[in-house]
Amino acid sequence: MNAPMPPSSDGEALFEVVWPLGRSAFETRAPNERLADLSGVTVAELWDYLFRGEDIFPIVREKLRERFPGIKFVTYDVFGNVHGPKQTELVADVPRLLKAHGCNAVISAIGA
Amino acid sequence: MLRASAAAERVGYPSVSIISSGFMKQAAVVSRGLGLPDMAIAEYPGVPMVDSDEQLRRKVEDELVPAIIRGLSQATGTLSQNEAVAEPAPRDIVFRGTLDEVNEHFQRNFWADGLPIVPPTLARVERFLKFTDRAPDEVIGACPLANRQATVWNVAVNGVMAGCRPEYLPVLLAVVEAVTDPAFKVEDAGSTPGWESMIVVSGPIAKALGFNAGQGVMRTGFQANTSVGRFLRLYLRNIGGFHHAPEGADKGSIGQSFLVAAAENEEAVAELGWQPYSADRGFRTGDNIVTVQSVVAISPPTYSGSENAEEHAALLADVIGQRTCGYWSAVGMVYANWHPLIILGPSIARVFAKDGWSKDDLRQYLYRNVKIKASLAEYYAWHVGLTGFRVNEYVKNGLLPAAYGESEDLEREIPVFQRPEWIGIVVAGDWGRNQSRAYVNNHIQGPPVSKAIRLPGRWTSLLPAA
Repeated sequence: MNAPMPPSSDGEALFEVVWPLGRSAFETRAPNERLADLSGVTVAELWDYLFRGEDIFPIVREKLRERFPGIKFVTYDVFGNVHGPKQTELVADVPRLLKAHGCNAVISAIGA
Repeated sequence: MLRASAAAERVGYPSVSIISSGFMKQAAVVSRGLGLPDMAIAEYPGVPMVDSDEQLRRKVEDELVPAIIRGLSQATGTLSQNEAVAEPAPRDIVFRGTLDEVNEHFQRNFWADGLPIVPPTLARVERFLKFTDRAPDEVIGACPLANRQATVWNVAVNGVMAGCRPEYLPVLLAVVEAVTDPAFKVEDAGSTPGWESMIVVSGPIAKALGFNAGQGVMRTGFQANTSVGRFLRLYLRNIGGFHHAPEGADKGSIGQSFLVAAAENEEAVAELGWQPYSADRGFRTGDNIVTVQSVVAISPPTYSGSENAEEHAALLADVIGQRTCGYWSAVGMVYANWHPLIILGPSIARVFAKDGWSKDDLRQYLYRNVKIKASLAEYYAWHVGLTGFRVNEYVKNGLLPAAYGESEDLEREIPVFQRPEWIGIVVAGDWGRNQSRAYVNNHIQGPPVSKAIRLPGRWTSLLPAA
């Protein structure tokens, strides 16, 4: 072992060590402003085709429609599998698709 | 899914991401790494894959929908734009202590892997840096999920910690170039299959640095194979944030331990008149390269005994193809990208070569002879959680080759190996036995990525003194 420091009081070598991590490669920001009311808004569904989204999204639609009149959904099949073979291209295309479909908000699912 | 939400947030759309309970910690790391630590999350309580339809409906109605509404309509954080976080500079001394104290400090901060580390002192790091002409502050790439910069400096630091020798640095740098290449998708190295990265070192450097390509090639013991393999796992923990609970982004459900780095027995390959793995990967024979790919499972030791090539091929198709790769091929189909790797014993390779078979002939045999029912592939995929996968839709959308769509009958047999050229073959292991083994690739997460090893100008004078 390399011991650049004088030994500790009991004779054991001491080591001065550096940090093993690296600088963060991103800039931190806050999320966008939220919507005051979901009535009448158009919500995009982005799904990774995992974990029973085909069962979950229809219930979400049903319950949100009951509560917010005029809410519309651009369903996940319009966007395709954003976690599948073409995930990189599809995620890069999300901004264009959201604009093209007149969306106001996004629900994405399921996982991390 | 947070990446899709982040793409929306960056262009001004409010988003909410549905995350099941078990992924909440990982979601926090991903959000931070995306620069949006306060992204709105709606938690699905529990595990959707084991809930009844009735349980699922109740959870969605009672808990998920209210959380979605909150996520889209209520502010989730108070961060100002571009908030800066103070962190140590590369040469800052972050701790001083005895060997035990240093190890304790590193374990406590999740900077180590459970094994003792070699203290990364400035002097040790500088000894490593002699083995590259690259500037210490050169940024090699970013390493999601934690999204920290991979630099020549922190490669050396983690190399010291893993027990590497200074002269391994050019190999370590090439390995990090491979895993930070966007094609490798290192951001998914914490997915639940718990895949490990496997390194194959090719070219004369393998012998020069003492990599074992013979008996026990995948066993710990040789310093080069072992410490380089350990380095990559340690590096992904520290720079990518892939350490496990309670704080990390590694969601490997059961996981596996790191794989030691492999090397091909290029002398045996040359004797057979076969091209080495480096040439299979598009480099010239004799080039020094590393290839890194994900490994999600390993086959049993596969023994084949015959003087006839076809009999070896038939047994490999059965054990490595049908019994080992068959199950996970379904997941490979879902992502339309899958690269199993076979370590072929030298004595078996010799029988193939004697009968005039090339590596490509073996690949073609496996492609033609290993099949799975389409219905079984969908069944396996569904249970993994890939509930939206339909073979016929994939064929229709051009995501799987035409060979998968000879009919629409789900009881038809389809190839396990998507493309013969995606089967990797490395000749290594015990020349005195007749054993091979397969390393099952995950899929789009960790396809093989190869990088040239860049040696410093003074390599030939530095190496003997090392």
